Amino acid sequence: MSNNIYAIELENITKTFGSVVANKNINLNVKQGEILALLGENGSGKTTLMNMLSGIYKPDSGTIKVNGVPVTIHSPEDSKKYGIGMVHQHFKLVDVFTAADNIWMGAQNAGLILKNDRYEKIAEISNKFGFEFNPRKVVSNMSVSEKQTLEILRVLYYGANVIILDEPTAVLTVQEIRKLFDVLRRMKEEGHSIIIITHKLNEVMEISDRVTILRKGEYIDTVNTSETNEQELTDLMVGHKVNLNIERVETSFDRPLLEIRNLTIKNDEGSKAIDDVNFYIRGGEILGVAGIAGCGQKELCEAIAGLRKIEDGQIIHKGENIVGLTPKAIIEKGISMSFIPEDRLGMGLAPSLSITDNMMLKNYNQGKSIFVDRDKARNKAQELIDRLGIVTPSTETPVRRLSGGNVQKVLVGREIDAGPNVIITAYPVRGLDINSSYAIYDILNEQKKDGVGILFVGEDLDVMLALCDKIMVLCHGKLMGVVHAHKATKEELGLMMTGAKDISEVNGKVAGIAKDSLIADSKEASDE
Amino acid sequence: MNKNREPLIRVVKREGMKRREIVMLYFGAIILALGIGAILLLSLDAEPFEYYEKMFTMGTIGNKLAYIQFQTYVQEFVPLLITSLALSLAFKMRFWNIGGEGQFLLGSLAGATVAFMVPTSTNVFLSMFLMILAGAVVGGLIGLSTAALKVKFGTNETLFTLMINYVALYVMRFFGETKADWNIFLRPEERPKFNQIPDNTKMFTIKIGDFSLELSLILAIVLVVVLYFYLNRTKQGYEIAVVGDSINTAKYAGMKVNKVICRTMFISAALIGAAGALRVSSVHALSDSITNSVGWTGIVVAWLAKLNPIGIVIVSALITLLQCGCRFASSSFGNIDSHFADLLQGIILFVILAADFFIRFKIVFRHNSKKSSSEKEVNA
Repeated sequence: MSNNIYAIELENITKTFGSVVANKNINLNVKQGEILALLGENGSGKTTLMNMLSGIYKPDSGTIKVNGVPVTIHSPEDSKKYGIGMVHQHFKLVDVFTAADNIWMGAQNAGLILKNDRYEKIAEISNKFGFEFNPRKVVSNMSVSEKQTLEILRVLYYGANVIILDEPTAVLTVQEIRKLFDVLRRMKEEGHSIIIITHKLNEVMEISDRVTILRKGEYIDTVNTSETNEQELTDLMVGHKVNLNIERVETSFDRPLLEIRNLTIKNDEGSKAIDDVNFYIRGGEILGVAGIAGCGQKELCEAIAGLRKIEDGQIIHKGENIVGLTPKAIIEKGISMSFIPEDRLGMGLAPSLSITDNMMLKNYNQGKSIFVDRDKARNKAQELIDRLGIVTPSTETPVRRLSGGNVQKVLVGREIDAGPNVIITAYPVRGLDINSSYAIYDILNEQKKDGVGILFVGEDLDVMLALCDKIMVLCHGKLMGVVHAHKATKEELGLMMTGAKDISEVNGKVAGIAKDSLIADSKEASDE
Repeated sequence: MNKNREPLIRVVKREGMKRREIVMLYFGAIILALGIGAILLLSLDAEPFEYYEKMFTMGTIGNKLAYIQFQTYVQEFVPLLITSLALSLAFKMRFWNIGGEGQFLLGSLAGATVAFMVPTSTNVFLSMFLMILAGAVVGGLIGLSTAALKVKFGTNETLFTLMINYVALYVMRFFGETKADWNIFLRPEERPKFNQIPDNTKMFTIKIGDFSLELSLILAIVLVVVLYFYLNRTKQGYEIAVVGDSINTAKYAGMKVNKVICRTMFISAALIGAAGALRVSSVHALSDSITNSVGWTGIVVAWLAKLNPIGIVIVSALITLLQCGCRFASSSFGNIDSHFADLLQGIILFVILAADFFIRFKIVFRHNSKKSSSEKEVNA
């Protein structure tokens, strides 16, 4: 087996979605029997790139070579044919089937009749790579790590030679990660090529042979793991500080508006999404929340808005505990939450309804009349369209017909128009162009001047450093610390995000607890 | 490798078709459906134009007894209209109530129970009111139960409402065939046969010449107006729209989603139950075919009308015309069964759905296939 033949070569791959460039002239190659780590921040285009290898997307331009031969991959079927297998971050399994049936379902040689020897065949492969695995187990009874094992077995069973793992360690415990890495090393010895997407630098250092770094959809560099260190990788990943000219308005801070103490929340899978987190927001302050995607940001927002059950801890708004209140009661307290999900329409808007109808979503129930006041909503819609420059044929256009940026303006505009005293906003500029982004920053700064406390969950560290007063960093649901934005550096944040640096407790002082806390018995609260 | 080319036919989304074009397209679709029907008629040795003429006029032209045709028409139109309106309420919320048949049957049973129980001296308006009330409560509770099961245990409303249809049908047959003395629904002398309801519970009618206008038609028209405002202007109507569009958004906005689902389903089923009671009052006796399949036809009507109350009036009027007309026309065409109406209705539905597809999408053929594929290759 010559090391000069690349199992996979990507040359000048470009992929755009509308006006957003997800990948720009990316080069990447993997040798046979090599583990390549693909490193980059959120939205740097890692998953998009890998989806082109697995046939989910097609590149706009560029060449894909498998074993030195140029190929075009139209579908996951093609990808399978070329021996490429991907283990996605979100498992694609049928819950009510056994492990073996999940594998059998998509197999080329499956035929019409389920044969009993499928269990043995699958057990055979499983033993070969050192998995401890029962092929007769039904998926719904499996733990997360077992499901992942099943996904890996499946691609191996289909004869994959190149295996792509999208953030495989995000859902695993330390022991499970050990086991996974053992398996990966064994696969490497068998001559398989592995591409592993991860954010955790210590894992990159431990498992990979080489590292390819992407930043904001662009190819940065490929380095040999043995010749680099965590600091260098962080620098490559986050880049150098860019001066964005975002204004940070100076205000005098009020007392804490919203205080979060020992908050613990579970995610939909039942594992801890937010783990014993403390923080507070003052009036006239923007607190940034930095973290790798899926570190509990969504769950945190939902919990504050009353949409998710709180396992433990307190949320104190103006000295009053709001845990257990209904979403409606929380809205009435002036706490506004807007979350822009990846598909942009998931939460906060009713996509088939008009802009007007979406305007009255949160206050339609005001007043005693049984009728809705659509005229008022229409005026408000028109006002927002004029003020924020929303491009739309009319106020009666369904929201889903608008482009992404305009949808976001409708959402953020409505939230601010309600005159909240706390704004929770997650990814408000996701996918927006420069001008729209600045329009949103201006809106937030204006609110800040009026004494509103803002929690800004963001993706772009440059923006957060420029806009926020303080930044708290989450890593796998745990608070890594709160830093002052004007003193912090990107490198520092990067290390905290990946868990390499933890300043949540320095000299016995726990981060995220206000000196002038409104929680009367704060000592007891933190002892719990 | 010459694989990297467009497929021969692609389906592309189409936006912003003009209202006039849409109306024309639907109109054309109906003509096309009638054309297909004409071919079928020809194959059955019937003269299509003559048949369609008889069908669309229901044989009323030059007929001294035309008013009877109109009365029958109204009797069939009203239950279909009310049921379709009620179903559209649930559908707007994405709650798949396909239990219209069952709700209608049980509503009519409740109505008949009241009719046989009230003293014969009761005023016609009061007895009709009580019948409607009974039908609405029984229908509504059936609907509420399926909604409550859904919000509490996540059961599938499609299955539950569907199965209750059969339960209701056999309950009705049970009363139709049980000869025991307690069975007030049967004729005292000729058992087992459903008895006529007392005169003071029969539908109140307004005489216009020979034609008797049933009160139910007026009630149905009022209902159209009320529902139009309910859906488009009230807070509850707004809640239905939001819940139907996105449950997550509704929760986010602080709506009590479970309450909205239960309430709306209660109203939907209650209206259908009331329609059942009205139907008893109108045809004067129970029967296990009393629904005239409005629970099923109503689903078609609601969707063809895009859940719009005004559209539902038009579509249900046309569908009733089709059914009454075909029944009449088949009486003068010995070789055409009255079920031809069902066939024609099915064809129309298919063609309209096809038209719908073309309103939302257009088909693009690959053009200049050689050129584009060679371009792609250069890119690759």
